[in-house]
Amino acid sequence: MQAKPPRSFLANNARWRRIFTDTMFVLPAALIFALFFAYPVISSFYLSLTKWDGLNPELKFIGLDNFVRLWTDKHFWLAFKNTFKYAFLVTVIQNALGLILALAASNKVFRGFRVLFLIPPLLSSIALGTIWKYMYAPKGIINSLLTGIGLEAYTQNWLGDPKLALYSLIATNVWKWAGMAMIIYLAGLQSIPDVIQEAASIDGVGAWQRFRHITFPLIAPAFTINVVLSMIGSLKVFDIIYIMTQGGPGRATESLTTYIFGRAFDANKFGYGTAVAVAMFAVILVLSLVQLRYLTRREVQG
Amino acid sequence: MSLKRQEMWPRIASLVIVLLWAVIIIVPLAIMVSGAVKAPDELAAHPFAWPQEFHWETFVKAWTDANLMRGMRNSFILTSASLVLLVFLGASAAYPLARRSNWTPLFYFFLAGIMVPFQLAMLPLYRLMKLLHLINTYYGVIFIYTAVSLPMVIFLYTGFIKGINRELEEAALVDGAGKFRMFWQIVFPLLKPVTSTVIIMNIMSLWNDFFIVLLFLPKKEMRTLQLSIFSFVGQYNSKLNLVLAAVILSILPMITVFLLLQKHFIKGIAGGAVKG
Repeated sequence: MQAKPPRSFLANNARWRRIFTDTMFVLPAALIFALFFAYPVISSFYLSLTKWDGLNPELKFIGLDNFVRLWTDKHFWLAFKNTFKYAFLVTVIQNALGLILALAASNKVFRGFRVLFLIPPLLSSIALGTIWKYMYAPKGIINSLLTGIGLEAYTQNWLGDPKLALYSLIATNVWKWAGMAMIIYLAGLQSIPDVIQEAASIDGVGAWQRFRHITFPLIAPAFTINVVLSMIGSLKVFDIIYIMTQGGPGRATESLTTYIFGRAFDANKFGYGTAVAVAMFAVILVLSLVQLRYLTRREVQG
Repeated sequence: MSLKRQEMWPRIASLVIVLLWAVIIIVPLAIMVSGAVKAPDELAAHPFAWPQEFHWETFVKAWTDANLMRGMRNSFILTSASLVLLVFLGASAAYPLARRSNWTPLFYFFLAGIMVPFQLAMLPLYRLMKLLHLINTYYGVIFIYTAVSLPMVIFLYTGFIKGINRELEEAALVDGAGKFRMFWQIVFPLLKPVTSTVIIMNIMSLWNDFFIVLLFLPKKEMRTLQLSIFSFVGQYNSKLNLVLAAVILSILPMITVFLLLQKHFIKGIAGGAVKG
């Protein structure tokens, strides 16, 4: 930081003062960000190379051992697979549904419904988890409904069956966030001038053709944002798993984040947990770069 | 617009889709509300029926047993303090970043934070917080909330400031106002649209945060609303009506704020997302 400049800089006094005031503008934010986010992020690369139990402040450097172990850790790969299945399905379903809802609710008469669709995104994870645990319980709402309409054969143990649990969580996630995706698509739709749609309509272009060749290319930015947001958000999923299934039954819904959490706070393997986090970051980074590149290129062409 | 034949079917389809999704959203919410006001045995026997009797006292009991007053107070302190820091530190930092090209590297430093998942910082942060004795303190959590959300906030403010004409600022400086006064009196009020986006984008994630407080604020007296409900649900999981009542009380503040500020919310979400 530049405090009082020495006399020989008198000619540059104004410049130094400017740098000083600019620094004062930036400094508080930079300090908090550096100490509580940037520093931990950077040090995680070192911590992932150590053995550390989380209690003892001393770290033991073990080189790449954690990563070697990770490579053959079948629980890690299971968590990895679950996380990707979850993220992929959430991204696809949430975007398809969000877009369908946006197109359907784009008429002003549905304004009240849009407000309703934004209620689930406001719910906290614990509220969401509690409601949906009750929906999914063996004697819960969904099974009672199925029995009530004579579909007793289709009742399931939605969260207790290892084959189903992950999909039940995906459905809960979509229930919560589809309204948010819809609002972002709506913002994109509203930026399209009505004239374009009307002109095409007068020219006799059908609804699907109009969507395919006019609407969709013009909402491509909203598509990019929604895909990136839902992908990154669901790769980091923690709350609803921790609240609804704790990664179970067995490890059927273990995700990378619940695995990191469990390794660190249940098994006291903080160094190993950090290595899992580093691996997860590498994957997210590559995916988001590829995605951004691919999706924005299409926007430009659009 | 005239209703041509080919316009009919898309409209009917729209109506069906919207109504169907509305039912899917309403059913769980309605069941939650009716579950909270029913007597426990009625809830088990007839989950779908209209409540025979409204047991509003369940809400009173949930409010006191789950200690929701304390939870709301703690959540309010954390959320509001973090929002204040985010707005003031974010706007002020964005100013030179937007106006002077030699600060661009620092801008990218902040921007990189958007790409990094919190989970990468989590365990080293735990270590740091222990070293600094910040676990179970409000300061600690407020600093983390601020640090984690700052990149996006700075990104939004910087983009907006770049679009503002410099003339006003220069005129104010010529009139002899200091740089700080000029910024807070002339520029900051112009940033209102972003400020409201920033507040709306963050109020939801901060008020509803579960993960960060789970790690850094486990002490009973300091529990936020979310952690109070979490422990209440764990303790009372056999008393579903009480649990549902507590959950409803916990989501009311957020829903009230949303209904009061709907327009800002919708604009804020869309604005934040499209610019982000």
